[in-house]
Parts: sequence; structure tokens; C-alpha cells
Amino acid sequence: MKFISGLQYRSAAWAGIATQFFFGFVYIMVYIAFYESGGKDIPMTLAQTITYLWLNQALLALVNQFTRDQELFKMVREGTISYELARPKDLYFMWYFKVLGQKLADVTLRFFPLILVTSLLPAPYGLGLPASLSSFIVFLLSLIIGSLLVTSLTVLYPILTLATMSEKGIVNIMITIADILSGVVVPIPFFPIFLQKISKLLPFQYISDLPFRIYVGNIPIKTCLPGIIIQTTWLILLILIGHSLMKKNLKRVVVQGG
Amino acid sequence: MKIYFKSLGMHLKSELEYRVNFILSFLSQILVFFTYYFIIIALFSKFNNIKGFTMYEVLLCFAIIQFGFSSNEVFARGIDHFDKLIIRGDFDRLLLRPKNIILQVLCSDSDFVKSCRLLQAIIVLIIAIIKLNIKWNLMKVITLLLMLLSSCVIFFGIFLVAASYCFYTIQGLEVRNVFTDGGKHMAQYPIGVFSKGFVLFFTFIIPYAFVNYYPLLYFLGKNDSIIYGFSPLIVIVYLIPCIIIFYLGMKRYTSVGS
Repeated sequence: MKFISGLQYRSAAWAGIATQFFFGFVYIMVYIAFYESGGKDIPMTLAQTITYLWLNQALLALVNQFTRDQELFKMVREGTISYELARPKDLYFMWYFKVLGQKLADVTLRFFPLILVTSLLPAPYGLGLPASLSSFIVFLLSLIIGSLLVTSLTVLYPILTLATMSEKGIVNIMITIADILSGVVVPIPFFPIFLQKISKLLPFQYISDLPFRIYVGNIPIKTCLPGIIIQTTWLILLILIGHSLMKKNLKRVVVQGG
Repeated sequence: MKIYFKSLGMHLKSELEYRVNFILSFLSQILVFFTYYFIIIALFSKFNNIKGFTMYEVLLCFAIIQFGFSSNEVFARGIDHFDKLIIRGDFDRLLLRPKNIILQVLCSDSDFVKSCRLLQAIIVLIIAIIKLNIKWNLMKVITLLLMLLSSCVIFFGIFLVAASYCFYTIQGLEVRNVFTDGGKHMAQYPIGVFSKGFVLFFTFIIPYAFVNYYPLLYFLGKNDSIIYGFSPLIVIVYLIPCIIIFYLGMKRYTSVGS
């Protein structure tokens, strides 16, 4: 359902695609200028970085921890969550699949045009091929786990607001930090070393940074197994946390408004 | 002008009514804003320079753009969110009053939470200037002030044009993000690092280059031509067509009713 209603907003999607192209180009030109100027211990090659950036743009709707319409936050704030509570289904998984469906719809609209055009672009600007066939298969696997992982996080934030009532403040601060540490802003390898170490202990870099780096070959297949195991562990852990937290918070929830 | 400051004061008072919320949003905004700087600092930890510009030069460039953008967000939010004014039909009320219409739109809204961005921009600006060891003279002071002024003017102009678009469509324009947010992202780097087409577009169509590239060259002593120092004045000329477009759009305006 969510998938179909998301597909309705096609013109918004086109505007979104145009915006993403523009941003993608700006970032790529910045990186090209940086690479031309040179530096010490650069962690990825230019081609790898550009492919990473395009993958990031193409899959942004999927791997982003925010949802576009903020519907769940609104439910908590405006009290319409009471209708949801009246339904005879497990609310956590209802929300979970709602978010997942929306992400998939958003990404389907944007993914194909972006991938098609960027893979046709001339050499320095274009999207590169995966490092090898096997790395592509592992990439797909870890991307699937990553999108399940990001969904569990996207659902977790509104659940947290059940306790604080407003998404501003603490939750907002958390989302911002999570956003940086997921590598959406700058690829993780460009982080200062101490931040890379912190980031390894948190779930965020396993959303998209891990699959993208497997795709470009920055993480070789031989060494990617621990990453995927950690990724899966976080996925199970976060679903369990979200599920139990929701139960706990719903017991003492105050429905806003009438 | 008196009316404007009075209404600003009223907006500030009304926001301070929710003090905890205000402080929390203020803090989270600081953090959101920090992510922008984080990109620059992270990249400069791996690369030496970008086309000959050092980190503090880029930060200076960025701070000037941020200064203009956020001062518009604080002081001219009515223009930024003009579509809301039209959709709710509140614009009719403004038309009935015997005062300058743009002034009234400015009075209609403001967002003081964003003033923390302004504050941060000023702090970054000062840090960058201290670290850069500028050889000061009167002309450089003038150039710096002109850059700050033109940065405010250019975003004001873009907001105005985007607002006039609302007269035709009632809805806000998503593509305008390319020119505001996108332009902001791009103009954080000295425009010379980008490819030719971009430079031309952002010199003559939307004159970002006159805000923080040509004057920056003069300010940093990379170019001694005094014309470069005065070039931000061109941006003010660009404001005139923006105002005309706004008034032309207003003639087309038909109310949505309320």
C-alpha cells in the first residue's frame, strides 16, 4: 500500500532526482579538485570515491535514516497513534514494514534514472563497475541487510519520541550524529582515525558504508566477513531493542490531543 | 524599519515562551551546522589543499556564504516560507494594509533558532581570519564588509524570485533548493575549483562568484586588482530584477480564499 501511494508523487521524485544530480556533481567536482591538488595517505582512489558517491546518491532514499514525510513522528505528536493502537496487529512490525515499503518505493523511482545516466557519463565523472562479480554479489547481500538495518533505526527514532513527546532536542541530536557516522556525509575512510575507531563500534556505518566499500573494492571480499557478521548482529539487536522499547513506552504513553 | 524591528522583537518573545524547547533546538541546530564544517575539516585532514586554497581560506569562504544564508533565515523567513503565506490565504491580509508589501512579508515570520547558525558563521569567520594572517588595509576591510553584505543580498534575491514563483503555482518550488541549498553547498568552496560551465553559470546567471570568489582572491592577496575588491557590488545590481519579478508576480496573484 505504502509502496503504491509513494509512487503517486512522480513529479516530486523528478525534482528530487534533478536535485540529487546537482548535488552529486558538486561533490564529485570538489573531490576531483582535492585529488588533483594531492595529499598524504589518501584512503581511496578517485574512481572508487566517485562510484561511492553516486551509489550514495542513487540509494539515498533507501539508506537515509530519515523518512520524507515524517508520518510516524506526526502520529506521536498529534495523537493519531491512538488509532494505530486500536488495530489488532503488532504495532512495531506494522511500522517496520510501513517504513520499509516507503523506502523501497522512493528508491525505485530514483535508482534507475540515476544509475542509468551516471553509468553512461564519461570517465572521471561516471559510476564505475563493481570490483568483481563476487564482490557485486556480496555487495547485494550486505545492502539487503543494510536496508533492513536502516529500517530498524528509522523506526527506532519515533519510538524514542514516545517517551520525550517532541522529536526536537535529544532525538534530533542523535539523528544528526547518526547521520555523520553512517558515512552519508563523508565516506568513512576520510574520517580522522579516532572517529573511525568510534564509528566501528556503532551500527551506523554498517548501513551503507560497508556495502558501498565492498562494491568499489575498498574492502576486499576476503576481509569483509567480520563486517557482515557485525551488521547482522546489529540488525537483530536493534529490532529486539525497538520491539521491547515500544512495548514499554506504550504502557505509559500519553495520547496527545483528543 | 521601526515596524520591522518591533515585529522581530515580538517573534523573539513568542519563541522564548517555550524556553526549554528553544534551547534544545538551538543546541541541535549547532550540531547540524557542525556537520557542514566537519566535511571540510575531514577532507583537509587527508588532502593538503584544494586548487591552491588552504583549509582556513575555504572556511572563510564558507563562513561568508553561511552568514548570508542564515541571516536570511533569521531575518527574512517570511520570504523563505512564502508559499505558506499564500496557501493559508494570509497574503490577502497583508495586501490590505497600507505599508510596503515586502516589508510586511519580512515582518510576518522569523526563526531565532537559526540565529545560532549566524553566530557560528561569525565565529568561524573570525577564527579563519585570525589564522590567515591577512595584511590589513582599509580596502580589505571594505571588501570583507561588501562580501558579507552581498552574501545577504544574493540569498534575499533568490528567495524573492522563488517566492514570486509561488504566485503562479501556489505551491513552493522544490527545484529552488538547487539554487539555495545547492548553491550554498557549492559556494562553500571557492568557485574556481569547479569546471568551466559551472563557473560561468554561477558568475553571470546567479552571481555567487562575485560574493565569495573574485573578492576573496583580492582579500587573500592572490589578485591585486581593486576591481575584484569592489566586485560584490554587482550582486546588489542583481537585486533590482529580483524585486521587479516579485512585483510582476504579485499582479498575477489571485487569492486562494480562506
